[in-house]
Amino acid sequence: MNKGDYPPATPATARAPSPANGSSRRSFIWLSLGWLASLFALAASGFATVRSLVPNVLYEPSRRFKAGRPTDFPDDTATFIDEVRLFVVRKGNTYRAVSGICPHLGCTVNAVPGKLPFLCPCHGSHFDTNGAVVSGPSPRGLTWFLVTMSKDGRLVIDMDQAVTHDKTLVIKA
Amino acid sequence: MKSLNRIWRAFASTRVGQSIFRVGLPETSLGRMQAMVSSFILHLHPAKVHRHSLQFSYTLGLGLISLYLFLILCITGVALMFFYVPSPERAYDNMKDLEFVVSAGMIARNMHRWSAHLMVLSVFLHMCRVFYTGSYKPPREFNWTVGVSLFVLTLGLSFTGYLLPWDQLAFWAITVGTSIVGYAPIIGKKIQFLLLGGNIVGESSLLRFYVLHVILLPAVAAFLIAVHLWRVRKDGGLSRPGEPDMLVQQSATSQLSTSKTYGLMALARGTSLAVGIEPEDEVPAWPHLMFREVLLFLATMAVVMFLSVFWNAPLEELANPTHPPNPAKAPWYFLGLQELVSYSAFWGGVAVPALLLVALIVLPYLDRKRAGVGVWFARERRVALTIFTICAVAIVVFTVIGTYFRGPNWGWVWPWAQTATTSH
Repeated sequence: MNKGDYPPATPATARAPSPANGSSRRSFIWLSLGWLASLFALAASGFATVRSLVPNVLYEPSRRFKAGRPTDFPDDTATFIDEVRLFVVRKGNTYRAVSGICPHLGCTVNAVPGKLPFLCPCHGSHFDTNGAVVSGPSPRGLTWFLVTMSKDGRLVIDMDQAVTHDKTLVIKA
Repeated sequence: MKSLNRIWRAFASTRVGQSIFRVGLPETSLGRMQAMVSSFILHLHPAKVHRHSLQFSYTLGLGLISLYLFLILCITGVALMFFYVPSPERAYDNMKDLEFVVSAGMIARNMHRWSAHLMVLSVFLHMCRVFYTGSYKPPREFNWTVGVSLFVLTLGLSFTGYLLPWDQLAFWAITVGTSIVGYAPIIGKKIQFLLLGGNIVGESSLLRFYVLHVILLPAVAAFLIAVHLWRVRKDGGLSRPGEPDMLVQQSATSQLSTSKTYGLMALARGTSLAVGIEPEDEVPAWPHLMFREVLLFLATMAVVMFLSVFWNAPLEELANPTHPPNPAKAPWYFLGLQELVSYSAFWGGVAVPALLLVALIVLPYLDRKRAGVGVWFARERRVALTIFTICAVAIVVFTVIGTYFRGPNWGWVWPWAQTATTSH
């Protein structure tokens, strides 16, 4: 291709009456407003899409519930409550609620009679009677939940309130 | 065959035939190349292909097999969607219906399951092939990272797929899998909540995994597969020994001075130009490449059908959100990961896989030397080969341990003593 085949380019100064850099303050403001508005619209729609996927209402078993009368639980055993996957452990007149969900990866631990009390079938974590880790990959012990007494004489377990491993409910006869 | 040919010719010479097929049935090399270029279906192929790229011993056909398995999965997946409702009340019954009520329903489900297993295997082996022949080196670095993404997507597709039957394996594999996600730093718990649509695996988790499995992930995978194949062409076809050094060539052509007058009608830059390629090493893609493609597809199909006729896809008991089976095992390709998380959830489930992934992605940008491209196990690449082999063997060893050496409570068992412990 020969250079001479094309008409010479029109100099920029001949086209726009604006300053030499080709832009004015007004066009700069409009341009930045346009960009900001477009980017905001994009970001907002992205946020809205993701936010809509975070549920506001959960159709799951209530995290705070009445577990039954203290006498419903046999002495010196860990009674498993299916729907909420936790053990109510009774020793004499002390009660505590120990989560049955292994803190490692969420499997349900089993209460093994004769052996160590709690054993996770998925990756083999062992827990003692208090739920503390004896061996296995679990990073922490089983969670204890707050146990209180309702006015009508039932145990109330609150799974949103974890308590330390020395807090039990003691019922005085 | 002759009469078939005559019918084809008669059709191709009509007005309708000519409007569909610009070029008739090709009879010369030129015609064969025109057929490739002018057809939408065929234009993904090059008009001519290097003899080396056709050697089965070089590629083992693994890329194509992966593509075919993806297509089989799409088709059987759509077929299964006619019989599946993603709800905890109905999903498991739908599985039973496919087996006992729907005619040939079990074949469709078997084909889908076995193709998925085979695809994980073939994509992994394809990655190994590309590594061992040094084919990720410039100018193919970007296509390697696209391939790594496709490997991750393949695992993601299979992972989201196996919640859907809503059996014990499904339920507990997803419980464990999403708990691993929860160990990711800072946003782990939030992503876990978002994935499940709640705190526990339930109705919304099933719907979410269904949408991911049938729309979102396949769409992304299909797009990346298109990019992957397109880049194979644009990066100069398959790698081979003694191919012209693309990078050097590219910098030379882009420095062409415009002040000089050229007699060329068009300037092509880079890799698409057939410079330094001996024409006698190339053969028309029709029929040499296409014949092999069809053959490989039939072979893939035959293997999938064979497996599907003789072995049924497993289905465990109905999901029981209270009690996991003992031992609770993921499918074989995640058992290496499960073995790792049995030591430490963070290190085994998050840190080590993330590091491996990052290593795979940056690999072609670190290992840039062009030595040993296009040759299996080139001696010049001893260090790289050793490191990759150690990682690959480690993955295989952990998978074998998880599959055969782990029994109840993830305790150690010898595979030959398995009979005593299988009842659970």
